[in-house]
Amino acid sequence: MDWVLFIGLLASGVRFAMPILFAALGETVGQRAGVLNVGLEGIMLVGAFLAVLFAVLTGSPWGGLVAAIAGGAAMGLLHGLFCVRLKVDQIVAGIALILLGLGLSGFGYRLVTASGALGPVPGFQRLNLGPLTDIPVLGPVLFNHHALVYIGVAAAVALAWMFARTGLGLTIRAVGENPKAADSAGIDVDRVRMAACAFGGAMAGIGGAFLSTAQLAGFVENMVSGRGFIAIACVVFARWNPLAAVGVALAFGIAEAAQIRLQALYPGVPYQAFVILPYVLALAGLVAAARAAHLPAALAKPYRKS
Amino acid sequence: MDGRALSAVSPDRRERRIALVVLAAGLAALAGLIAAAGENPLRVLAELVRGGFLTQAGLADTTVRAIPLCLVGLGIACAFRAGVFNIGGDGQLLIGACAAVACVPLLAGLPAPLALAGLMLAGMAGGAAWGAVAGVLKARFGANEIIATIMLNYIAVQVLSWLVRGPLQEPAGIFPRSARLPAELRLPALIDGTRISAGLLIAAVAVGVVWLLLARSRWGFGVTMTGQNPDAARYGGIRPGRVTVTVLALGGALAGLAGIVEVSGLHGRLQEGFATGFGITAIAVALLARLNPLWVPVTAFGFAGLYVGSATVARATAVPFPLVNVIEAAIILGFLALTVLRRRAGAD
Repeated sequence: MDWVLFIGLLASGVRFAMPILFAALGETVGQRAGVLNVGLEGIMLVGAFLAVLFAVLTGSPWGGLVAAIAGGAAMGLLHGLFCVRLKVDQIVAGIALILLGLGLSGFGYRLVTASGALGPVPGFQRLNLGPLTDIPVLGPVLFNHHALVYIGVAAAVALAWMFARTGLGLTIRAVGENPKAADSAGIDVDRVRMAACAFGGAMAGIGGAFLSTAQLAGFVENMVSGRGFIAIACVVFARWNPLAAVGVALAFGIAEAAQIRLQALYPGVPYQAFVILPYVLALAGLVAAARAAHLPAALAKPYRKS
Repeated sequence: MDGRALSAVSPDRRERRIALVVLAAGLAALAGLIAAAGENPLRVLAELVRGGFLTQAGLADTTVRAIPLCLVGLGIACAFRAGVFNIGGDGQLLIGACAAVACVPLLAGLPAPLALAGLMLAGMAGGAAWGAVAGVLKARFGANEIIATIMLNYIAVQVLSWLVRGPLQEPAGIFPRSARLPAELRLPALIDGTRISAGLLIAAVAVGVVWLLLARSRWGFGVTMTGQNPDAARYGGIRPGRVTVTVLALGGALAGLAGIVEVSGLHGRLQEGFATGFGITAIAVALLARLNPLWVPVTAFGFAGLYVGSATVARATAVPFPLVNVIEAAIILGFLALTVLRRRAGAD
């Protein structure tokens, strides 16, 4: 295979992996705390829209990122309000978030477009790490990305360390595995879960922001196109391990990057056969991981003091 | 008596209070959203109700949209009763329509009623197969059905996209769409002067059949048992895996039927994007019907009217159309908040 093509594939695979990785990391924390949020897709849409809007308004992609984090956290808290505080069905509340995100982002986008306020989007620029970027092969694949790429990988490492080595990690796992025991140890189960919901939402918001201000520069209605659900598959496939999530998200990113290139390489094959690649991969991942998976024991179960 | 009894507010009453605040805040937020678009919320609400339910054209459009929503919603009600979250209505609908249109050459020459019945059955078979894929993945491999059905939705969109550019494309080969269905394969109009087809009768029959299956058959008992208490169901000799597969296959069959009813009764041909967003709205339809098949047509009509009315609003005011999704989400969340109020009322 052509080396240049292959390096390009890996480099864009890294970028394509990021929206999935951010959302999956947030969902990992939420699920470890016992909250299943199937509404990531909606949160990512809101994040993607807010990032574009506020990047334009503030003139900086970082301003957009902050708005996406705030909007994502707000939606995560809304999910928490219903399934942690009110103890309703987590999946149904998550389905409502999908519709809410779809509606709010589309509503806001059309309003803003109609008012003509949306100029060119100041997106994230790739970092130039000088000599590192110039290394053949490794440079383009590893050292020529947006700052958010490194933040995402650092977040995965930090979360893995948190779960393995810190009291906070232990607390979150206890709340998701055995809330009753956590409660008797003096942990406020609902508060920990609410915090996990907010974190999960904020991370999904960053995922959306990456999509609209780093990977692309602009918002399109329904642009997340299933990445929120792929992120949930990623969590399961990575068995709730943040470091493994990096690898799995990369696999999805490379699959997406590959399908675009395969379309051009094999014009004789219907392009749809390639477009479905990430979705088929997610199905395969679910099948491969599901049996062996040890999901958090109290996942999707509300906790009430007895 | 523990310390809780001494505190002023019990957790149950606190949950109720939060639910009330959430309901009020939600309504205020909706009104605020409409105001943000520069319109008067009450005027928009009046326009929405008028456009969806109170004009002749609106009522007809609402009925047209209620047909597929009702069919898909019935299948989702069955699945949710069994505790199976089928979010794949859209994909099952598309594959059903594709399968039926692919069978059109086979039906040529049959007497008209038979050919039409064959077309509907082919749609059901296609949808059922697509639903069963998710069912088997869940039952045999433990793959989460929410993600599986959604992934199958995205794959189905691509299958349709390929078919209308490839094997099923119209002979002229210009537009990505199939040839028109021959007249004998079109569902007749039920009410002249409207687009309401005999699909309305099909949906009505489906309501009766699903109700009978759920309320009067062994299978329906197994479905409800599995949803309420899987362990007891297993102990009673019900195999949860089989329930999962059959309930997804039935939901797929109903969605597939909805797909071919849309093609045969409304559009007349297969084309990209001919039916989007029914799957998730149908979840709201089923939930609001409290998973009771007899209420599904009522809630389907309500959500169809919301859609049609929102389109009227988007034409007549500055409020953008995606408001419909926000309202759908608000209805689901409001419904959840109401269940909190109901489950506690009288409990203490």
